[in-house]
Amino acid sequence: MKMLKYFLIPLFSILTVLVADAQKKYTLSGTIKDGSTGETLIGASVKIQELPAAGTSSNNYGFYSLTIPEGTYQITWSYIGYESTSQKVQLLKNQALSISLKSKSDLDEVVITTNRKNNNNVVSAQMGLEKLNMGQINQVPVVLGERDVLKTITLMPGVKTSGEGNTGFYVRGGGSDQNLILLDEATVYNASHLLGFFSTFNSDAIKDVSIYKGGMPAEYGGRLSSVLDIKMNDGNNQDFTVQGGVGMVASRLKLEGPLVKDKGSFMISARRTYVDLFLKASKDSTLNKSTLFFYDINAKANYHFNDKNAIYLSGYFGKDVLGLKNIFGTNWGNSTGTIRFNHVFSNKLFSNTSLIYSNYNYVVESLQSNDGFKATSKITDLNLKQDFQYYTGSNHALKFGINILKHDIAPGDISTTGAASSFNDKHVEHRYGYESAAYISDEWKVGNRLTLLYGLRLSSMYLIGPGTFSSYDNAGNITSSKTYGSGSVVKSYLNLEPRFSASYILNDESSVKASYNRNTQNIHLLSNSTSSSPTDLYVMSSNNIKPEIADQVAAGYFRNFNDNTFEFSAEVYYKALQNQIDYKDGAQLVVNQDVEALLNYGNGRAYGMELFFKKKYGKFNGWLGYTLSKTERKFADINNGAYYPARQDRTHDLSLVGIYQLNKRWSFSSNFIYGTGNAVTYPTGKYNVGGITVYSYSERNGYRQPASNRLDLGATLEGRERKRFHSSWTFSIYNVYASRDPYSITFRDSEKIPNTTEAVQTSIFAAPIPSVTWNFKF
Amino acid sequence: MMKNYFIHTLLASAVFLLSSCEKVVKLDLGDESGKLVIEAGINNISGQQIVKLSNNVPFTDTNNYPAVSGAQISVSDAHGHTYNLIENTAGTYTINNVSGVPGESYSLKVLLNGKTYTAVSIMPNVVTLDSISYVKSEFDKDRQKISVHYKDPAGIANQYRFVMFVNDVQVKDVIVANDDFTDGNVVKMDIRQRDIDVHLGDKISIEMQCIDKPIYTYWSTLRSQSSNGPGGGVTPSNPPTNISPVTLGFFSAYSTSSKTITLK
Repeated sequence: MKMLKYFLIPLFSILTVLVADAQKKYTLSGTIKDGSTGETLIGASVKIQELPAAGTSSNNYGFYSLTIPEGTYQITWSYIGYESTSQKVQLLKNQALSISLKSKSDLDEVVITTNRKNNNNVVSAQMGLEKLNMGQINQVPVVLGERDVLKTITLMPGVKTSGEGNTGFYVRGGGSDQNLILLDEATVYNASHLLGFFSTFNSDAIKDVSIYKGGMPAEYGGRLSSVLDIKMNDGNNQDFTVQGGVGMVASRLKLEGPLVKDKGSFMISARRTYVDLFLKASKDSTLNKSTLFFYDINAKANYHFNDKNAIYLSGYFGKDVLGLKNIFGTNWGNSTGTIRFNHVFSNKLFSNTSLIYSNYNYVVESLQSNDGFKATSKITDLNLKQDFQYYTGSNHALKFGINILKHDIAPGDISTTGAASSFNDKHVEHRYGYESAAYISDEWKVGNRLTLLYGLRLSSMYLIGPGTFSSYDNAGNITSSKTYGSGSVVKSYLNLEPRFSASYILNDESSVKASYNRNTQNIHLLSNSTSSSPTDLYVMSSNNIKPEIADQVAAGYFRNFNDNTFEFSAEVYYKALQNQIDYKDGAQLVVNQDVEALLNYGNGRAYGMELFFKKKYGKFNGWLGYTLSKTERKFADINNGAYYPARQDRTHDLSLVGIYQLNKRWSFSSNFIYGTGNAVTYPTGKYNVGGITVYSYSERNGYRQPASNRLDLGATLEGRERKRFHSSWTFSIYNVYASRDPYSITFRDSEKIPNTTEAVQTSIFAAPIPSVTWNFKF
Repeated sequence: MMKNYFIHTLLASAVFLLSSCEKVVKLDLGDESGKLVIEAGINNISGQQIVKLSNNVPFTDTNNYPAVSGAQISVSDAHGHTYNLIENTAGTYTINNVSGVPGESYSLKVLLNGKTYTAVSIMPNVVTLDSISYVKSEFDKDRQKISVHYKDPAGIANQYRFVMFVNDVQVKDVIVANDDFTDGNVVKMDIRQRDIDVHLGDKISIEMQCIDKPIYTYWSTLRSQSSNGPGGGVTPSNPPTNISPVTLGFFSAYSTSSKTITLK
């Protein structure tokens, strides 16, 4: 509890400052919105010319609050992609001032005007945060023309793709289940459609995407490596609009409009693929009777009762369906729902109350009528969150809140069909648990140069009955079993997570930052395959599984050039991981009551350097990201207990993205990636047992797959300006020079040269893939 | 499990659609050859019980494995009987007119160059392979899909390995099953292998071995690592052996039954 003492001291100092504050101060607050749609703007900056250190930014609901001494000030509100507004404000009492900013795409000129460009990346104490601009996401070319949030974030340094055909991504050497993916505060468990080719996020419905690779603020918790916070559009509260697109593989449609003009609006957006229509054209009788599609729906509604009260409802529903003729069928999907209520107390205290529902389930069934089975699995979360933001106005901005989350996991159920089925019904007990947290954090501007962002999160895990819980020895045998009644605590864990980051401004254009944070994770994805699949299993920390813990330190240098036109950052990090999970040989994880007997535990470490160079303004913009990194694991039974590279240990990772706005109608984009291959295990010998050639191995992950590289190009042609109807065409070519990135390398007896063995490389995309999408809006 | 097989089959079909490709590549692989491989099996049929000793070879060599001679090999049962095996051809050690008894535990002892290797395996009770059936494959009307039929004993854990021959050529895929999902049932199991295509007129022989848990783990680990799945399945490693100190290979005491049919 020593740590607790060190945090209580600065907290007490805040309270004394609040009490001792003698000068008369007033609060200027309000909401910052898009002038033509009414969408609130997240992270818009508010600067005061006379008090450069006192600026602030809008929160997740567009709300800002400044408490400053009585007086007259020149205040500027700005946001990237928008024309900033500057006003002279006479602050003689508390004042509400909401601002509408005009989007640059609504303006006639394409070239930037003489606004002061944003230097938030330099001055903010927040480290490890990348915010994505939706305009850029929509221009980055991706496979089959579907704009993709997840694919675009893997173009950032420190974020690695898990490869074609795989779901998930890796942040700073962490596993793919160590990323907290939130859609309007609801956890999304499976973020990919069709085994990784598309993400579950329809970019039409999205307003803001932020990824925290490190320095996670205290209000986030539950995963070790990152937080991907995605916010949906609220819906245009001025005009009714319809927007959509028809592509080669998928189509989408969005309807939005006011419920009550200026006060409430709704948005509904849907997307469906029709890949299986192409399957029907195949001559192969298996393919032409198969189904392969996904659909998703995003819906949101909001209503602002008055300046101080607003309610938001969001929902997401998505499903993937794969069917092989009338032999097998599988489907899986996420559904989420959130109700959020904002209340502003006293202009300084903002409150948000959320009730969140999240569900992920999958079904696999064999459709053979006399010998069929149906296997299902699901995880359901119910979550209550209360967050407060207190803008004290004396160089401190406090955030505090609590979060209570209930998990209900059904690990596996099998039901059989047909009287003479080979299979038995099987039911693995449900597991229930409460994952709860309380946090407090403060952003403290110490003088003109130093900003400290520090906080503490107390996270807890309570695994509860009903159920029978077993303990296992190292060999996987049951050593004891105990049955618990409903609600009784089987195992509990309490963890303190300190979060700290600081920025020191060297001058207007450069700063240095450092951070330390501890994160814990109580929900674990079990998957012993090298390629992830929607049927992977979630388990909570238990009497066998301890919470995973990560401690990360990072430091960085941030420098802008040419009046903030160019941004540059260099960050180094080191992350130590504890209680990582690996699997015993031959582990059968599917529908297994004793799956926790099959696990081994160990540690990991990851460290690296990220360089990021970005141009955000002008006709030509884009970025260059480069990561040099290492990530290793250490388990007693593997490699004689020595550190070995994790599969996703890719030494070099380079992304180069360029977007060029030629004129009002044409824009071009390209991206180039290069990365070291995965660390893999290759044979160092072979022998024969049971008539079969078997390969022998020495070290784990001692080899590398060949490096991957790829160039994609895209172009957008905007239609002619018309009063109501607007259309555009998006063209893209994925994998322009037909690079054959290895999807897998396998070993087998050669067919061509008998009595020998060969290595075979399979690539998914071996030729360029063009695509065309027609987009419309009216 | 069947479910994983299905998903991988479907991904493979999806991969057909896209412009995927396969090519043979040359890799710079290390050489950890010359290691001892013990392939020891005893069964309940009177006849030859065989232990083969060999060495592994580098990946780039031909599939000829040098025999290891001069070892002293014996198998003992739990009642104090010890049977010594004799090396007839280089690397192959046998004993005639002896068979194992289902339900008994057997120990293997190999003494080679001053080093002793031991292993224990329990021969499961016999579960008979009732029959083999065939239907046209759902994927290709020229191929036949083979199924095996047996009755799994209820209440005990059973593990099986199937060795399949098409026209006397062994199918090189690992085919194993256990009764996690089928305990006590009359089981019909489709043999899904892609090594040798089966057509009408072919002779199919299948041996069903009842194996103990450690040997089942050995074979199922091998199967999960195989190239049947995209991405290569599980990260490969040497499958867990029941031989101590650890060598490549295994000692399997198994009970066996076989059936042969000719497809008409």
